[in-house]
Amino acid sequence: CCSCPAGRMGLDPLFHAWSYFRRRKFRQCSELCSELLERPPGNQMFYFLLYPVQAAWSLKTRALTEMVYVDEIDMDQEGIAEMMLDENAVAQVARPGTSLKLPGTSQGGGPSPAVRPVTQSGRPITGFVRPSTQSGRPSTMEQAIRTPRTGLTARPITSASGRYGRLGTASMLTNPDGPFINLSRLNLAKYAQKPKLAKALFEYIFYHENDVKNALDLAALATEHAQFKDWWWKVQIGKCYYRLGLFREAEKQFKSALKQQDMVDTILYLAKVYLRLDQPVTAMNLFKQGLDRFPGEVTLICGIARIHEEMNNISSAAEYYKDVLKQDNTHVEAIACIGSNHFYSDQPEIALRFYRRLLQMGVYNCQLFNNLGLCCFYAQQYDMTLSSFERALFLAENEEETADVWYNLGHVAVGIGDLNLAYQCFKLTLVNNNNYAEAYNNLAVLEMQKGHIEQARALLQTASSLAPHMYEPHFNFAILSEKVGDLQRSYTSAQKSEEAFPGHVDTQQLLKQLKQHFAML
Amino acid sequence: CFTVTAPDLPILERKNWLIYLLYVRQDYEECKAVIKEQLQESQGLCEYAVYVQALIFRLEGKIQESLELFQTCSILNPRSADNLKQVARSLFLLGKHKAAIEVYNEASKLDEKDWEISHNLGVCYMYLKHFNKARDQLNNALELNKHDLTYMMLGKIHLLEGETDKAIEVYKKAVEFSPENTELLTTLGLLYLQLGDYQRAFEHLGNALTYEPGNYKATLAAGSMMQAHGDFDVALSKYKVVATAVPESPPLWNNIGMCFYGKKKYVAAISCLKRANYLAPFDWKILYNLGLVHLTMQQYASAFHFLSAAINFQPKMGELYMLLAVALTNLNDAENAKRSYEQAAALDKSNPLVNLNYAVLLYNQGDKKGALCQYQEMERKVNALKESSTPDFDPEKMVEVAQKMGVALQVGESLVWTKPSKESKSKQKAAGSGKSSSSQQPLGSNQALGQAMSSAAGYGKTMQLPTGAGAAAPAAKPPSLPLEPESGSEASPEETSAPPEAE
Repeated sequence: CCSCPAGRMGLDPLFHAWSYFRRRKFRQCSELCSELLERPPGNQMFYFLLYPVQAAWSLKTRALTEMVYVDEIDMDQEGIAEMMLDENAVAQVARPGTSLKLPGTSQGGGPSPAVRPVTQSGRPITGFVRPSTQSGRPSTMEQAIRTPRTGLTARPITSASGRYGRLGTASMLTNPDGPFINLSRLNLAKYAQKPKLAKALFEYIFYHENDVKNALDLAALATEHAQFKDWWWKVQIGKCYYRLGLFREAEKQFKSALKQQDMVDTILYLAKVYLRLDQPVTAMNLFKQGLDRFPGEVTLICGIARIHEEMNNISSAAEYYKDVLKQDNTHVEAIACIGSNHFYSDQPEIALRFYRRLLQMGVYNCQLFNNLGLCCFYAQQYDMTLSSFERALFLAENEEETADVWYNLGHVAVGIGDLNLAYQCFKLTLVNNNNYAEAYNNLAVLEMQKGHIEQARALLQTASSLAPHMYEPHFNFAILSEKVGDLQRSYTSAQKSEEAFPGHVDTQQLLKQLKQHFAML
Repeated sequence: CFTVTAPDLPILERKNWLIYLLYVRQDYEECKAVIKEQLQESQGLCEYAVYVQALIFRLEGKIQESLELFQTCSILNPRSADNLKQVARSLFLLGKHKAAIEVYNEASKLDEKDWEISHNLGVCYMYLKHFNKARDQLNNALELNKHDLTYMMLGKIHLLEGETDKAIEVYKKAVEFSPENTELLTTLGLLYLQLGDYQRAFEHLGNALTYEPGNYKATLAAGSMMQAHGDFDVALSKYKVVATAVPESPPLWNNIGMCFYGKKKYVAAISCLKRANYLAPFDWKILYNLGLVHLTMQQYASAFHFLSAAINFQPKMGELYMLLAVALTNLNDAENAKRSYEQAAALDKSNPLVNLNYAVLLYNQGDKKGALCQYQEMERKVNALKESSTPDFDPEKMVEVAQKMGVALQVGESLVWTKPSKESKSKQKAAGSGKSSSSQQPLGSNQALGQAMSSAAGYGKTMQLPTGAGAAAPAAKPPSLPLEPESGSEASPEETSAPPEAE
């Protein structure tokens, strides 16, 4: 029949839409579904018999959800409010080694700040930045507002976890006619009766609309309908509670889901809750129990490694990352972390091998080439050094990345003894990123070499105000002031330096010397 | 019957004993409370309370506040030299040396027999670079009252002016005066070390180490002296003691690296030296050593890299250019090698190796005349050295090469210095440094060199570049280039933020 409104390729439209969905062509799928749903009502009667409208409706919800889907496990972002005003941890002053909140005295035998740069006081920079990477916490609201917005998390920090909301609003743009489903008009109780529809709808509400409250209502009704025998609904309720900040309730749901059915996902969610409650040891035990049930599960081993890293226990983190690589030798996070760990423990050759492995796997970005260039230089592979940095410059997506590359090029220039080139490189770093404290510090050192004390002083002051957690500018300023004879400023700077890096021997010697000056007549 | 009670007039300085007691016991919190009470009672007129409060502020590093309080004190009691001295001291701690000098001068009008005033005046003048006045004041202070610190400052001034001999005299007197001060002992030992007087240097450093076994400076200096004599294991065990206390010291890692180099553990040497270089990228000595080790390992590209970096930081050193030329020779860049040798020969006045290596290069290039010229220059230097008999000149290896060279150039008969005559001398030394001279040999250099040289005689111009020519240089180099710890402590201000952003 020629008038038969078949798909463009002569296929049945619903089948075609379904095929699009399976090939992850979500936009085409959702457009085709919209067409199906917008048939004139007269026709619709006819189609109603052939194609259940509900199928198209459900398929469209799933397509829209998948377009904006981000795995909930990795979506862990604390805004300022959560960091500051939220008091979930039971122990306020925990023993060292049992809490994520204290950066901890570096017990793990990792490299000291003299070798490995730190992000915020005490936490060495990591090899792999995840959305949930927390590098230290601000201690007061004021400090949180004053520090650079990316100083604490991988993304610009917001006042409360606003990114979830932003995802929802972003999805509005995909539908110029407005939202696909008007949540306030839905009769959730009706949908909860039909599990097949309910699951897709829940995911839509949760991921696409980010309406946690409605999602929770639907999940509650659905789990009641399933007579509390469906672990999936329990996990979803737990997720909703977690988003709402009700961690203990979430923990209950996840635990009960785990009793019903062992799932890796559930273990990961439960561990997330424990981490949020600042109980890393409990989380680690949970992971280990999970590993008994799922031996060799990569995400679980990786979770343990992350906890070790967060607690500044870098060497045991590296052990677990190695276990990850035994299971999955293309795990980017593990390779990057082990690579950076080797780099900072005097083994740039081995780090180079790890990063080259990443390159072979097809990772192609600025950071990788930057790291490759550094490893090549420090492993004395001079033929690859500059070409890697060139490519990193070419691949840099924003000015911060360009600044990073120029900064490292400055280090290479220092390494070959060309101080003029180094000077230019550090200047270019500052042109690209005006808040690059390390570059200010290094420029000051170069100025000091030339004998320009006043410039050096000003640069060091800028550096120390930009990055109070770095010990180098404080220490350099202290030394400089001590040379000129201004012992008071030297003392205050040396004190700050000691705060940033308590184990620094030269700082301690300087402080001792200054105290002698003060005590003597 | 009546009793007359004495009127209970408030006495200003009633609780001074208590304030003093608390201050001396370092119970500053309690002391501050008493001071506050006392000041309230006396409406701020109690001089001693203000004075101690200022001292406490100074101990806490709040110099500005302490200055203000001391000024209050000197207003309360303008006839006291003590108050003026404290004002000046606070000014000095703030870096205002000229103002401090003025106040000290006023104080000295009130009290002429005070060593502290003279001492501090001397230190202030030193900061202002008026060395003559500073010396006079310090000598004056010594006459009034002898103090270790005054000696130290006086010695420092002599060193700043470049008079090592006078400085040594001063330190000698100081050590006589207080023989248990490790800092004085160490400084004196280091000065002797600089002059090459190893016996006395060892004595003083040893004394310093007996009084304070963990002394970083003395250990480093003693270790470097042992290294110079080839006792690498002993030096390493010395370094092990301080390595836990000072794990991130570039000079320490440099010396450890050179110990391993002496023991022919080249890979370990490189990794230690590279750690030192990572911690102190501006230190040319570490770069020099890295270049040397890489030359020994026959990794000429890396050697060139480190040596050229070292030249950028220290352009006035002939040996660096010589090693660079050796690296360049092996990188098949004879033109630049020649230029580098010329630079080396121009900069260096006493090291005959420069000329020997240059002669080898020229000979290999077929320039017999130039080679002869360099050879003669070398002979002249050797003669000069023989007269001065510098202890760390070890000619054995060189003599061999030079003789072959002489034969090749047909000047060998007229050698002014021959092996037998040298032998006795090097034998004497062999007791001390025989181990080092044998362990210094780089990988199979000598045989290679000998073969190359004999083949040079045989084939004349057509011969190839000998690989040994490069190795000849490190063969006769002292095994390490021990850093004097002064430069070690200097190195710390140049510390850069340890850098790379690996993400």
